[in-house]
Amino acid sequence: MKGLLPLFLGIFGTFAFSWTGLIFIPNLQIGHLDPQTEEDGTDAYPSPRSGMAERGRQIYAANGCNYCHTQQVRADYAGSDLDRKWGIRRSAPRDYIFDRPVLLGKMRMGPDLANVGHRVPVTDQNAPAPSATTSTTTGAPVAGASPAPAPAASASPTVSPAPAAQTASAPPASAQNPTPSPSPSAPNEVVTAINGVPIPYTEAWHHRHLYSPRSITEDSDMPAFRFLYEKRQIAGQVAADALNFDESSTDAPPSGWEIVPTYEAKCLVAYLMSLDQSHSLKEVKTAAAPASPPAPGKQVK
Amino acid sequence: METVTTTGSAASRLTQQPQGGTEQVTPGEIENVERALIDASTRVPVLMFYTSAIFWLLVGTLLAAFASFKLHSPDMFSGISVLTFGRVRAAHMGMMVYGWASMAGMGTAIWLMARLCRTTLRHPLVLVTGAAFWNLGVLLGVGGILAGQSTGYEWFEFPTYAGAVLFVAYLLVMSWAVLMFRFRRGDTIYITQWYLLAAFLWFPWLFAATHVMLFVVPVQGVMQAVVNWWFANNLMFLWLGAIGLGTAYYMIPKVIGRPVYSYNLAAIGFWTYALFASWTGMQRLIDGPFPAWMITASIAAAILSIIPVATVGLNHHMTMRGYFPLMRYSPTLRFTVFGAISYSAFSIVGIIISLRSMAQIVHFTQMSVAYSHLGLYAFFTMVMFGSMYYIVPRLVGREWRYATLIKLHFWSSAYGVGLMVLMLLVGGFVQGLSMNDASLSFTESTQSVLPYLRGRSVSGILLTVSHFIFAYHFVLMLFGLGRTASVPTFLNPIEPEDVHP
Amino acid sequence: MNENPSTPKRNRQGMDYGETEEVQETHAAIQREKREPRAGLEPLSLWLIALYGLAVFFGGAYLGRYSGDFSGDGLDPLGGAQPMKKNAAGGSGATQTAELTPAERGKKIFSANCATCHQMTGLGVAGQYPPLAGSEIVNGGPRRPAMIVLKGLTGPVTVKGQQFGSAVMQPWDKTLNDQKIADVLTFIRQEWGNTGGPVSPEGVAALRKELAGRAESWTEPDIKAVPEGADLPGGAPTDQTKPPAGASPAPKA
Repeated sequence: MKGLLPLFLGIFGTFAFSWTGLIFIPNLQIGHLDPQTEEDGTDAYPSPRSGMAERGRQIYAANGCNYCHTQQVRADYAGSDLDRKWGIRRSAPRDYIFDRPVLLGKMRMGPDLANVGHRVPVTDQNAPAPSATTSTTTGAPVAGASPAPAPAASASPTVSPAPAAQTASAPPASAQNPTPSPSPSAPNEVVTAINGVPIPYTEAWHHRHLYSPRSITEDSDMPAFRFLYEKRQIAGQVAADALNFDESSTDAPPSGWEIVPTYEAKCLVAYLMSLDQSHSLKEVKTAAAPASPPAPGKQVK
Repeated sequence: METVTTTGSAASRLTQQPQGGTEQVTPGEIENVERALIDASTRVPVLMFYTSAIFWLLVGTLLAAFASFKLHSPDMFSGISVLTFGRVRAAHMGMMVYGWASMAGMGTAIWLMARLCRTTLRHPLVLVTGAAFWNLGVLLGVGGILAGQSTGYEWFEFPTYAGAVLFVAYLLVMSWAVLMFRFRRGDTIYITQWYLLAAFLWFPWLFAATHVMLFVVPVQGVMQAVVNWWFANNLMFLWLGAIGLGTAYYMIPKVIGRPVYSYNLAAIGFWTYALFASWTGMQRLIDGPFPAWMITASIAAAILSIIPVATVGLNHHMTMRGYFPLMRYSPTLRFTVFGAISYSAFSIVGIIISLRSMAQIVHFTQMSVAYSHLGLYAFFTMVMFGSMYYIVPRLVGREWRYATLIKLHFWSSAYGVGLMVLMLLVGGFVQGLSMNDASLSFTESTQSVLPYLRGRSVSGILLTVSHFIFAYHFVLMLFGLGRTASVPTFLNPIEPEDVHP
Repeated sequence: MNENPSTPKRNRQGMDYGETEEVQETHAAIQREKREPRAGLEPLSLWLIALYGLAVFFGGAYLGRYSGDFSGDGLDPLGGAQPMKKNAAGGSGATQTAELTPAERGKKIFSANCATCHQMTGLGVAGQYPPLAGSEIVNGGPRRPAMIVLKGLTGPVTVKGQQFGSAVMQPWDKTLNDQKIADVLTFIRQEWGNTGGPVSPEGVAALRKELAGRAESWTEPDIKAVPEGADLPGGAPTDQTKPPAGASPAPKA
């Protein structure tokens, strides 16, 4: 090849072509979206996250959660995301307009988290609050923490351990729990459900799971994030946000000690609880009407 | 190591030589002297790049082995924030891409450019400073990731301050490359120079554009993921890939002493590569919240990239035809050809896993890790090893000391990466199948891939061994402990019928 | 091959081979080197051209099959199956809005956005949020209330002889589109015994355009500077020439 100029122009041209096609034009199309509102101006979605949740996003990114967890739900023809109840509809660009950095992920060594914080207000009194799972499977009375009538949701005690949670897609099912909610110990608590299937991912659940994943899902391959928790001597009374363990659990601290989440752990959990794409979007079909959830175990084409 | 002053005197001698020596020596000898002087002038910076690269390679390998074990033994060191999987993995990627691959690539590119421009290296101090700053950038970046400051964008995890240092370092290196082109002699620009010049120009554009779009004037929402994968993909193809292909275009004909088969094929291969490879990348976002056409355009570009793959592959094959037995002897040729073949495999796997029908199964699985390692290791790293086996003896004036070590290095690398890719390809497929079967619980999909991840850890041990062997051999060379001989270190004793088939 | 490079003649130190005095003693590796590579000129094979054709064909077919009409709404691949209106966010579903009168629509908007402060009774909160019921601003010309809704109001304000000042009203021009602002204005001007006339979305649009350059909220003097009965720019006349408000494509909020 003779001459530097054609070479240079070609090198620049191909680069500019790629940038124009893959960045510039898509940015015109989906790079300037507004939140969606109902026709009467209500119900704006999505909305920016709180400061704590935003800080939690940084912690999520800093610890590389996105290498094993995606935050995107694929449509029904691709994969089994909807069958696994990771969401009630596929994700759309509008879901992410306030996300920075956006943490879509490209690997699923853990389940998708796009809707892990999905919550709906209690409408059905029969649906037990997730805190109800406590005593049934373990039988161990919860010591210390629950008497504290702390308004914080973290007062909801331990989660049911492994046996009830062999599967991650059907998490510790409070629906099986016949015991009604024992007390309004956590007035802020809301029942979580997608299509009527409760998902008791409470803050306490998250803290317990982050601290000791295998105490909840036996087969989990998630690393424990113990460095986000602080082990300290109980000063007077057990802290309201201390983690609860069964007495038999190997994770339990020695008596006289408690394990409390650091501020970072609380931020991370606040972020996880804020992940919610259950709001319908006009540009996306919602997969199934809430009344008729898809048959469990449906095979993928 | 030699000081810069000797290279300076070498440079001045290059200009004086023709007047003094034209009567006595043949043109071929003048060419030899010229090459010797050019090689001498590149010695300090190229060895600096190589030494740093190999250092990062070793550390990065250890981190990779650690991360690999973490995947099936997640409870190791869970109380230490620095050693959590997500941070170690990101640090490993950063070290390998920016520490090892980029530095080895720049070292080789500098040497090749000096030779092909037929000019001694001017201002080697600039390059040495550049290398030092680059090392600082990688160190800051990796430290930042381990300390919990990752940006969360894959392949771009380095905190912004580290990225800034890298960019400054890069400008120092590139300013030199431009200088070199300015002073080149001879009017043809060889194929390798197209690739290298392109890589040297693409990288800063790519890096700066990405930095601006992610941090200075950030784009909204999912567009960040678009920018992210556009960057990661083009870093692979336009930066590392271009250097790797350019190196192969030099080393293969050089070692066997034959012209490249066809200029036309090379030109078509280069321009279609520039055009199509730069458009791939969005298929990593397949089925995500993006416009369909954008993903499809990338898949179509991947399909079209069979054109450069076939063209370049055919060109190399026809150049090598009849000379394949030389791979028994020349370490350079063996590594480079392995890399060139892996490039074809890399691209073909890339096409297959990006097709929608296939991506449905293998998206979000370990398959993507297999794909990255095919490109970054089986192709690029092997080509770099090959070029180092060629270049380092010319810089230190010694031949590689032990043929056995080279053979061990080759086979443990080849088997290591082969095993790793195989394990992850199969494991990813199995994982995808069980993930898509909603009647199985999700953990069964991760359980199903665990045996393959253990196999991958075994391959990681092989690769670690191979890298330490190579590093040991390199350090011997660096301290002048190589062989002094007039023949290169062949892998096997020469059998006469193989040399000139 | 060439002579042994380690002859005692060599004036070398350490690894330094290239720096010998004699030209002949350049490093052996260089002397034995093959010449620098160059390119041959073999032509393209037909098979290769055929492969190019195939690749272009399949690539193009793939692009055509899954292009989703190259629209930004066609989610990958073709997820938004039913044809969506381009302005899904702003364009309120025409079928739904047509069934309600502007005041009814305005009531929903009011309860969602305004009632927190001004209350559903329209009486506001004493000392903090001024009442809308019987307010001279609301009952006057439509320009003043439209200005306030679009750009917000800050600082003390006197309504019905009472002083309010501890709260600010946020600008709504980013949140509500012209249709919605018109509806909610129509609603508050006719509810609670108020006597103002309806407000057209075109008028709001014209006012929005007129105020486009303004970033900060109004203060009471700004509002008082406008004549009490002032109408919206070009509001009423255009209302009759344009098609009914519900069907008109409202611009994006």
